[in-house]
Amino acid sequence: MNNTISQFFQSAGHLLAELEQSLAPVLPGQDLTALAAFAVYVLIILGGGLTAVLARNLVRAMMGLVVTFLGVAGMYLLLASPFLAFMQLLIYIGAVCVLIFFAIMLTKNTSDGEETRYPAVCNVLLAVLAALAPPVLAGPIIYKAAALIPTRTPVDSTANLGEGLLSMDLVPFELISVILLAAMAGAVFLAWPHPGGDKS
Amino acid sequence: MTPLTLFLLASLLLLVLGLIGLITRRTVVGLLISVELLLNGAGLSIVAAAKTSSVSGLLDIHGQLAALFVMGLAAAEATLVLAMVLVVQRRFGRTTTDTISTIKGS
Repeated sequence: MNNTISQFFQSAGHLLAELEQSLAPVLPGQDLTALAAFAVYVLIILGGGLTAVLARNLVRAMMGLVVTFLGVAGMYLLLASPFLAFMQLLIYIGAVCVLIFFAIMLTKNTSDGEETRYPAVCNVLLAVLAALAPPVLAGPIIYKAAALIPTRTPVDSTANLGEGLLSMDLVPFELISVILLAAMAGAVFLAWPHPGGDKS
Repeated sequence: MTPLTLFLLASLLLLVLGLIGLITRRTVVGLLISVELLLNGAGLSIVAAAKTSSVSGLLDIHGQLAALFVMGLAAAEATLVLAMVLVVQRRFGRTTTDTISTIKGS
C-alpha cells in the first residue's frame, strides 16, 4: 500500500518534471507557437474579463472571472511555472470563486435588480477614461525598460519553491499564516449574530 | 517586443478591466469581482518580471513565492469581504455601495 502511494507520487513527480522540461524553452517573442499560445490566452483573458466587468447578472460575471483565471493560469504555464498555474486553479477557482458565489447567493443580488440596470453611457465612458490612465502612464515605461532587460527561461522544480519558502521567505510565509488566521477569525466574528449588540 | 513587455501588457489589460469594473459596479460583490481581476494582474506582472529578467535563479523563486503570497492575501480578502457583505445585508437589507454611508449612531 505504502509502496503504491510512493510510486504514484514518483510518477506524478516525473510527469511534472517532464511538463516543466517541455515548457521551459517557450516564451513568446522567441517562438511562434508560444506567441500563438500567448495570443489565445490574451483572448481568453479579454473575453472573460469583459464578461466579468460588463455582465449584468452577477453569476455570469463570476463565470467570466473563472474564464479569466483560466487564462492567467495559462500565462503561468507559458512562464514555465506550472506549480503557480495549479495554485491559480486551486486557490482562485476552487476557493475565491466559491466564496464569491456564496456572497452572491447570500445577498439576493439577481432579484434585487441593482446590477441589472446598465450604468449611464457617460459614466462608462468616464470609467474607461479613468482606467486608461495607468496604461498611458506606465505603458511607455514598460515599453522602454523591458527592452533593455535580457530574458532567460530558467527551470525550477517545486522542491526549489518549497526550499525557498522555508529558508529565504520564511518570515512572509509565517506572516501569511497569521494573516489567514486573523482573516478567518475576523470573518467568523463579523458574521456571528451578536445578541442585542447589532440592530439587525 | 520582448516577452517581458508582452506579459506586462497582459497584466496592464487585467488592471484596466478591473478598474473599469471597480468604477461602474454598484454592488459590493461586483467590486469584489473587479478587485480579484486587479490582484490577478499584479500576480502575473510579478511572475513575469521575475521569470524573464532574473540574473540568478534565486530571484525567480522569490517572484513565484511573492505571487503565491498575493494569492493567499486574495483568499483572505475574499473571506473578509464575504463576512462584511453578510453584515451589510443583515443591517441594511441591500448591498449597493451607496447604502453603506451611515456612521454608527446616525
